[in-house]
Amino acid sequence: MLIAVVLAVVAGLGLIGWYTARAKARLLYTGRGSMRATANYHGLHLALWIAIPALIAFAVWTAVSPGLVNEAVLADPAAQMLPASDMERASILAEARAVASDPSTVAFNPLANRLAEPMRSAQTQFGFIGIALVLICALAGGGYAWTRIRADFPARSRVERGIMLLLLAASLIAILTTVGIVASLVFETALFFRDVSPWSFLTGTHWSPGNAIGADIDDNFGAVPLFWGTIYIGAIIAMIIAIPLGLMSAIYLTQYADAKVRRWTKPALEILAGVPTVVYGYFAALTIAPAIRDFAASLGYQNPSTESALAAGLVMGVMIIPFVSSMADDSIAAVPRAMSDGSLAMGATRSETIKKVVLPAALPGIVAGVMLAVSRAIGETMIVVMAAGATARLTADPLASMTTVTYQIVQMLTGDQEFDSPKTLSAFALGLVLFIVTLILNIIALRVVKRFREAYE
Amino acid sequence: MTNETKMTARHVDVFYGDKKAIDDVSIDIDNGIVTAFIGPSGCGKSTFLRSLNRMNDTIPIARVTGEIKLDGDDIYASGMDPVALRARVGMVFQKPNPFPKSIYENIAYGPRIHGIAQGKADMDAIVEKALTRAGLWQEVKDRLTDAGTALSGGQQQRLCIARAIAVSPEVILMDEPCSALDPIATARIEELIEDLKNRYAIVIVTHSMQQAARVSQRTAFFHLGNLVEYGDTEQVFQNPQETRTKDYITGRYG
Amino acid sequence: MSSTFQSDAFMQRLAKRHAAEKRFRLLGLGAIVLSLGFLALLLFIMLKNGLAGIDWQFLSGSDSTEASVAGVWGAAKGSLLTMIVTLAISFPLGVCAAIYLEEFAPRTRWIEWVEVSINNLAAVPSIIFGLLGLAVFINTFQMPRSAPLVGGLTLALMTMPVIVISGRNAIKAVPPSIRDAALAVGASEVQTVFHHVLPLALPGILTGTIIGMARALGETAPLLMIGMRAFVASPPDGFTDPSTVLPMQIFLWSDEIDRAFVVNTSAAIIVLLVFLMAMNGLAIYLRNKFEVRW
Repeated sequence: MLIAVVLAVVAGLGLIGWYTARAKARLLYTGRGSMRATANYHGLHLALWIAIPALIAFAVWTAVSPGLVNEAVLADPAAQMLPASDMERASILAEARAVASDPSTVAFNPLANRLAEPMRSAQTQFGFIGIALVLICALAGGGYAWTRIRADFPARSRVERGIMLLLLAASLIAILTTVGIVASLVFETALFFRDVSPWSFLTGTHWSPGNAIGADIDDNFGAVPLFWGTIYIGAIIAMIIAIPLGLMSAIYLTQYADAKVRRWTKPALEILAGVPTVVYGYFAALTIAPAIRDFAASLGYQNPSTESALAAGLVMGVMIIPFVSSMADDSIAAVPRAMSDGSLAMGATRSETIKKVVLPAALPGIVAGVMLAVSRAIGETMIVVMAAGATARLTADPLASMTTVTYQIVQMLTGDQEFDSPKTLSAFALGLVLFIVTLILNIIALRVVKRFREAYE
Repeated sequence: MTNETKMTARHVDVFYGDKKAIDDVSIDIDNGIVTAFIGPSGCGKSTFLRSLNRMNDTIPIARVTGEIKLDGDDIYASGMDPVALRARVGMVFQKPNPFPKSIYENIAYGPRIHGIAQGKADMDAIVEKALTRAGLWQEVKDRLTDAGTALSGGQQQRLCIARAIAVSPEVILMDEPCSALDPIATARIEELIEDLKNRYAIVIVTHSMQQAARVSQRTAFFHLGNLVEYGDTEQVFQNPQETRTKDYITGRYG
Repeated sequence: MSSTFQSDAFMQRLAKRHAAEKRFRLLGLGAIVLSLGFLALLLFIMLKNGLAGIDWQFLSGSDSTEASVAGVWGAAKGSLLTMIVTLAISFPLGVCAAIYLEEFAPRTRWIEWVEVSINNLAAVPSIIFGLLGLAVFINTFQMPRSAPLVGGLTLALMTMPVIVISGRNAIKAVPPSIRDAALAVGASEVQTVFHHVLPLALPGILTGTIIGMARALGETAPLLMIGMRAFVASPPDGFTDPSTVLPMQIFLWSDEIDRAFVVNTSAAIIVLLVFLMAMNGLAIYLRNKFEVRW
């Protein structure tokens, strides 16, 4: 709630500043051409000078104060009893923090209860310091801007420069996010590779992190069965469903359907794309998987499992259909009409024209679309979590239960493991692999699409 | 080949939605000569041309009424298959539109879909003959596997003509085939038309009166969807019967 | 000469080609029917299982171990709080970034990197954003687990690229003549953009935002990473209270062994789909009503 209070205070100060500065600037007005900027811009200038320093101060303070609070708590006599290990210390402090914010929580470690009191007082103390800092920055900024309110002050261009900086900062968030993803994945993965060699992780064929203790830890983190399961479900089974259905839908919609059919079918396909994956996952688990199990039983399988690669892959394929269809739609639409006219004018039928002229011309775009679809399918989580299974195995049997990278990431991070165990860290290593693979697919696909578009423009 | 009538159109109207683009046009197209359609832009000459091989069918809102016959058969009759029709009435477009395939495959496409060639050797012969007739063989015989789109604009258009010839059509419709080309390439296409005219009935839409005068034996002048005047090229240009034709030819508008 | 095209062989071949044409066309129709049939089946099964479970008790209650008293209000409120955070962060940032990239950004290598970043972020698997949220917000900044604040932040990072991309397209669609007109009467570039371009692009931006928010509302995987799977017996009161969201509630209930929860799960899916369809409907309405074709 501190955030809300601070934001409200800053907004209030800014509003007051804007109003008073505007009023002051109006008094300076002596006639046409007497001022370099309108009064409103003087007001905005002052408001920006109040808000931006205050918000920067607040952001910095939010980032550093937890560390300061921790140090203050560690200086407390009770903290002398804390264990030396950084990891245990951190977990006790985290518990103390929980108790401090909500006294009804019962801490697992008694020491945490004793530290809760100093924690709370340190938090209050530093909270006040933070608020004071924010106020000082706001007032200092406002004061500076107040002295600038003069007839010859170019308030508008200053304000615009400030706005420009804000816009730039907003666009840098994207880079920051990317850097954040890469940094956090790489950092945790590096920790993981202290315990497990990258080689045995990437090439090992045995995955059972549950048994991973002691010297043979390397042998239990072989991720190949996970990679195989991911590829088998996402890039093979799902694509066998999605590519023909998506492509044929797009062909029908662009080449055959009249406007009326298109008007109804396209939004319907969009609904198919908008259904949340958890719904697909539940549908797979509730309806498709049992049907496939019964089918397997009728084929004479002994104890077929309810979870199967086929169930997950099939539903995932359906989920991807609209995606493939809309990518194919775009690519086909980008093929110049003159090209299909050329074929039709020679007496080719519609389907001959599509198969021999339109599709080959649209192929780069379609291939790129399929790559994006694969990237989406292998990153898909909920369907496999709910329908694919937990067993890591290397098999080509679609009726077998199979696990995937995303399933294991979820498996390793839900539950109450401590954060630094190899098991938890393995999730980040898997995440890094997933990120790199999808990144490569995306970059190639986006390049191909771009070049394809340029070719026909 | 004698100057027998190849195609006849009687009272043809073409509509785009509610808009009438062609109004009551009747015309005969003869074998063995070049017929030019001229007129200011938007006069409907291309629209009419596209109704001669039912390419207007590909535009959902287009509708053709009246009667167009090819060798006495109504091409809009229910028994007439547009696919078979277009094999007999080929078309060359305003902008060269080679398929994104090799030069060879561009030519082989038509014979292949229509099942004209008997085996590889036959196909090779057809490709060579079509390219030779289009005056392109000498330039491309060593690079038949190169992409058709890699050729120059003029070569691409000759490739498209060769592609049309390869099906051995009876009529070739050309929709401003030189408008995207430079003068030298245009001159080559015109020579080519001259060479081809004895074998086919050729209809060419052009916005250039000089071109019509150079290549055609018959000229039809269209204006605002009407066929204003139709006759021997020489007569239309030297001694137009209609004032509108005269005004257009002398550059009063256009 | 015309004999080639009237020969029996040609005619037989023609008949075959037309048959192939018909088959191909039917194949296309079949693909669409199959895809939409699947959607219909999904909706039918959810309605069949869940419709009976939707009553006041269900709509106003929170989670419970007892299927008959469990409801979705707690999760729905969690979703609402999470979406508020997501919208409050991703919308202003997304719009600002879109304006900058489309109108002001110099063509430098830096900006190229930003663009590549945004395009790729839009296609990064959502679970990766969950890992980011876990590593950065929870482990580094020590924010509370299971809280709408963290969930909203995580989803905001995921939604922002969608808003930037749709925003840029909307801004791009505003014709240059509008800019020229504003500049010609002496408006500054910033004024031109904020007074003229942005208002005209706003419907497009809003459409993109709603679609992005709808996606965030249906998202489960990243929230699983940051622990938003709390058992919430009473609705959360603030942005830092432990809470869950609608899709997560569906996931949690789907895991219950008690068959009675099938009704709850399906009913919750109906509620979620109603929300999503309303949002998408709004987006389509906005697009049709306000978007001017230039």
